[in-house]
Amino acid sequence: MPDTHFYRYDDYDRTLVGERVEQFRDQVRRRIAGELTEEQFKPLRLTNGLYLQLHAYMLRIAIPYGTLSSRQLRKLADIARKYDRGYGHFTTRQNLQLNWIKLEDAPDALAALAEVDMHAMQTSGNCIRNVTADHYAGAAIDEIEDPRIWCEIVRQWSTLHPEFSFLPRKFKIAITGSPNDRAAVRVHDIGLRLWANEAGDVGFEVIVGGGLGRTPMIGKTLREFLPRDELLAYLEATLRVYNRYGRRDNLYKARIKILVHEIGAEKMREEVEAEYAAIKDGALKLPVETIEAIARQFAPPALPHRAAVVAEVEGLKLEDRDFALWLKSNVAPHRMAGYRIVTASLKPAGAPPGDASAVQMEGVADIADAYSQGEIRVSHEQNLVLPHVAVEDLPAVWRALGRLGFAEANVGKITDIIACPGLDYCALANARSIPVAQRISNHFAGLARQHDIGDLKIKISGCINACGHHHVGHIGILGVDKNGVELYQLSLGGDVDFGKTAIGAILGPAVTADKVVEAVDAMVHTYLDNRGDGERFVDTYRRIGAQPFKERVYAAV
Amino acid sequence: MAKNLSGDLSVASANRLVDGVVVFLDDAGQWTTRFERAAVARDKRGGEILLERARAEAFGVIDPFLVAVSEDDDGRIEPISLREKIRASGLTFDAIAAEAVRYA
Repeated sequence: MPDTHFYRYDDYDRTLVGERVEQFRDQVRRRIAGELTEEQFKPLRLTNGLYLQLHAYMLRIAIPYGTLSSRQLRKLADIARKYDRGYGHFTTRQNLQLNWIKLEDAPDALAALAEVDMHAMQTSGNCIRNVTADHYAGAAIDEIEDPRIWCEIVRQWSTLHPEFSFLPRKFKIAITGSPNDRAAVRVHDIGLRLWANEAGDVGFEVIVGGGLGRTPMIGKTLREFLPRDELLAYLEATLRVYNRYGRRDNLYKARIKILVHEIGAEKMREEVEAEYAAIKDGALKLPVETIEAIARQFAPPALPHRAAVVAEVEGLKLEDRDFALWLKSNVAPHRMAGYRIVTASLKPAGAPPGDASAVQMEGVADIADAYSQGEIRVSHEQNLVLPHVAVEDLPAVWRALGRLGFAEANVGKITDIIACPGLDYCALANARSIPVAQRISNHFAGLARQHDIGDLKIKISGCINACGHHHVGHIGILGVDKNGVELYQLSLGGDVDFGKTAIGAILGPAVTADKVVEAVDAMVHTYLDNRGDGERFVDTYRRIGAQPFKERVYAAV
Repeated sequence: MAKNLSGDLSVASANRLVDGVVVFLDDAGQWTTRFERAAVARDKRGGEILLERARAEAFGVIDPFLVAVSEDDDGRIEPISLREKIRASGLTFDAIAAEAVRYA
């Protein structure tokens, strides 16, 4: 299946990535030969996405805007099998992490990635990181415009951008093309939301200074409406202001969110607009032809007409409860009648969230070829998405995903847990995340119960850096270390739905690892005992407040 | 019963350069992946000397450091911190296998 529905490298991209691989190969050779010290080498490996974790090197592979072709996913499986231990971890940044890469193999792994137009650049360091997007992009029924066109434009502008390669701190941009935010744009350094104004013109709401981590902040809108062709100039102006005024004296105060918080959104806007006025008619104003050329590469696949109502699907829905539940939770509307968007849950009961074996990756690639135009998306909720599945193919896709263990009908439910790698892998973590997620997942494994509980997002981080997005979980769980003991701080009420983005509030004292399941169970029972008609967990929390949850949790633990 | 929880006992550890694997310095001054073979320093001064030896043997490893350990009545040593226990023993859950189609 050719990669025809999203951007493919041109000669410039291929040359750049190829040269980078060979440059890194030489750097690795020099390091192993002792010609470079670790101090000299560390920044070089990090700029190629190679971290040193607890047990081994970890390669963080960029998946631009979370979009993969079947060919690319097969290559990731191949790399995982050949150079790692045969599995990978899909992350909240829509990337893939391989946890056991050998330094001596890393250049070959990067060369293999380059064969399918991929790399690991800018997945580390104080630069503009891989741009993330709505994982339903190009298929969503509520989409105004495919955000990946703009992600790709930003990718080209930001790749090895000399002015922004040494920012005060890392910088994350997310773009959504839908009013229903699925890309968490308000908790990124810059969030961009495409929308159409009253005149029918499409532009960006520019949201700046959001973020999670040690100091969670919801981004402020600097521009309500930015014409699309002015995007790069406005981004450049914003980054330039940040680069100039962002703090470099304190690692923990270096993100743009701190700058916006300290000087205020008004002052930030003034500074950005002044810079923008000086450069907006320069080289960064995007010619229509450039935009159109990139947009053409994201032209939707020519989906043939397929029936919107299919007797077999309706029949199976009545016969098989698991299929009916799967349709409810894992299948979303598509912009074209007769098609649906399917989420393959990488959260089967008791599994490490977001992990997939090489065989599973290859299996998903096969399903994508057979039923989804050869396309796959990675969601920031650590699942894989098949964006273009015909309604009549849903039973076959469900069965095929079931054979891979990826048909759990739990998307958006209590076991669809986001979890960072935590202390089992990560050099920064203070506590484990995955075993906690596994215990919760096993405890709530029954599908009927999960669907009765309804939408409930649990997000777990193993340290304050918040890779598991715990601040915006309906239930957030943060692992901390207190005198050598793992404790878990619980928070309630976080959310990233557009217009309702909220940072969770800490419930009370942290609990020990063996009490986390009881605590979550107590929260769930508090909700079930108090929920009103149609209320989700987080709605009930908002209505009744934290106290009833607090009383029950601390009585239980 | 642990004899020493104060952190005075220590071993030297690092990650191996070529593959990142966790290693420990043994009595012969070699880096080993086997924690139980690690040379044990029994007091603060011994720890300083062990770390100096580790740094002197650091060509094939990255950033040696001391790991506080405890010792039981049978002479078995164990890292005190959970982080170092995990470094010495590996993941605390079963990772999915390359050929696995289901998590078990």
